[in-house]
Amino acid sequence: MEKRAILVLEDGSIYEGYSFGSSNDGVGEVVFNTSMTGYQEILTDPSYAGQIVIPTYPLIGNYGINDIDIESCRIQVNGFVVREACSQPSHYMAGQTLDEYLSGGNTPGIYGLDTRSITRKLRDKGVMMGIISTVLSPAEALEVLKSSPRYEQQEFISKVSTAFPYDWPENKESDNGLRILVLDCGMKYSILRIMSRLGVKMSVIPCHLSPMQIMSLKPDGIILSPGPGNPQLMDDIVFTVRELADKVPLMGICLGNQLIARAFGASTYKMKFGHRGGNQPVLELENGQVHITAQNHGFAVDPDGLADGLEVSFVNVNDGTVEGLIHKELPVFSVQYHSEASPGPLDSTYLFNKFVAMIKASNCK
Amino acid sequence: MEPIIILNREDIRRTLGRMAHEIIETNKNLSKIIMIGMRTRGVPLANRLAAYIKAYEEARIPVGVLDFSLYRDDLGSRDLQPAVKSTSIPSGIDGKVVILVDDVLFTGRSARAAMDALIDLGRPSAIKLAVLVDRGHRELPIRADYVGKNIPSSKDEEVQVKLSETDNLDEVSIYKNSEAGKCL
Repeated sequence: MEKRAILVLEDGSIYEGYSFGSSNDGVGEVVFNTSMTGYQEILTDPSYAGQIVIPTYPLIGNYGINDIDIESCRIQVNGFVVREACSQPSHYMAGQTLDEYLSGGNTPGIYGLDTRSITRKLRDKGVMMGIISTVLSPAEALEVLKSSPRYEQQEFISKVSTAFPYDWPENKESDNGLRILVLDCGMKYSILRIMSRLGVKMSVIPCHLSPMQIMSLKPDGIILSPGPGNPQLMDDIVFTVRELADKVPLMGICLGNQLIARAFGASTYKMKFGHRGGNQPVLELENGQVHITAQNHGFAVDPDGLADGLEVSFVNVNDGTVEGLIHKELPVFSVQYHSEASPGPLDSTYLFNKFVAMIKASNCK
Repeated sequence: MEPIIILNREDIRRTLGRMAHEIIETNKNLSKIIMIGMRTRGVPLANRLAAYIKAYEEARIPVGVLDFSLYRDDLGSRDLQPAVKSTSIPSGIDGKVVILVDDVLFTGRSARAAMDALIDLGRPSAIKLAVLVDRGHRELPIRADYVGKNIPSSKDEEVQVKLSETDNLDEVSIYKNSEAGKCL
């Protein structure tokens, strides 16, 4: 028997569908992702903490859930909205259905609604808060929504960051002797997978550590991870990043890009509906090359405040927003897109090789 | 000066057994307790205390491991091994009574660092300290709740705890510092 569920947006729009996954209520910022596949990576990406995600692709769940395509240890989204949820997946690695996976993670899902029309609304009006419920009336749901804190006023990174440091299993075959730390503000496993394939020893550290604690681990370089939430609320980590930038090579990804920008004087602002998907074109200013990138961000760097030698290196072809930064003197660079992809095109993984080369060059000095 | 053996294997067994009884006696709700061993020798001690408590009271106490090296107050001045040693806490510590376990209580600086590390992991309802040896010379206002043996010592002496899990031998001894060998 199919159970009714509703999705209510803060502007009062009501969408009716059917419940799958958990039948709990889910409140969050409603955002859309244009990737055709990769729903397991999206569900477990900590940068989606506090959000309800709508894939624009109409059929989701058709290859099930496996043990490998996870980007963190749990489902991170607050809700999942799909057009059609496939209940009979077909893939040799599929161990669970999407429905079972969402239930196991206590995450509500809703299917059977016109996700593309919701997406068009979000593109017109901008992202807004929403709620998925199986028990509340639309009026009650709207009340709950009005009393819930807004996404951009909440702090998420302390909830998604690791509580204590840990090592990623070493790659015994190739070891280049480098040791890189990932400052975990919502890290994705793919970063560790790619770096350890390059022969780097990887450790993950909590985002609350002080610069002194971090430097006592004697890293050769530090990756500032992607992560959820409003970078304007993260003054502590911005301070840490500024201090680290003078001491050790830094690579920033997504939120890391915004933290580096803030550390060098720029500010960030909330975008109307953000960039989330696997086909965002970015222009590399140095050589005019266009890269197709995977992205997930709802905030962007305002380039006006950039100072102290930090410059824009990539811009988005669609809307001209900042997509990457590089420092003129310090070994510091960052990208606003996801160089680790997952899901999305692997074109940008060369940036990890570039970071390793940058560390080796700065070690020689 | 010859090393003086203060506790042998049997003494350590009796001492830990008595400490386990004290823990049972002073904690009515054993299900709220989580035992956390401070690296390195606090870890086998925590495991042994938990095993005694299980033998006496049929209560299964979760045991965790805490690496507090990033919280030392001499971080900048000491040449630390640049290694992330693993911390593992079996369940959340929020609302739990955490019993920190270490081998020797000396200046109190390790205990302070461990408490700082714990507070970053959550909010326990209480933190207690259990040590096999209290040798005095505190530099911070810290005391242990459960003490195996008080060993009055002078500052130029070294108290060394050896445990079968880490050193293939159960023994507590006291040396003159010049003979203490590697300070652990």
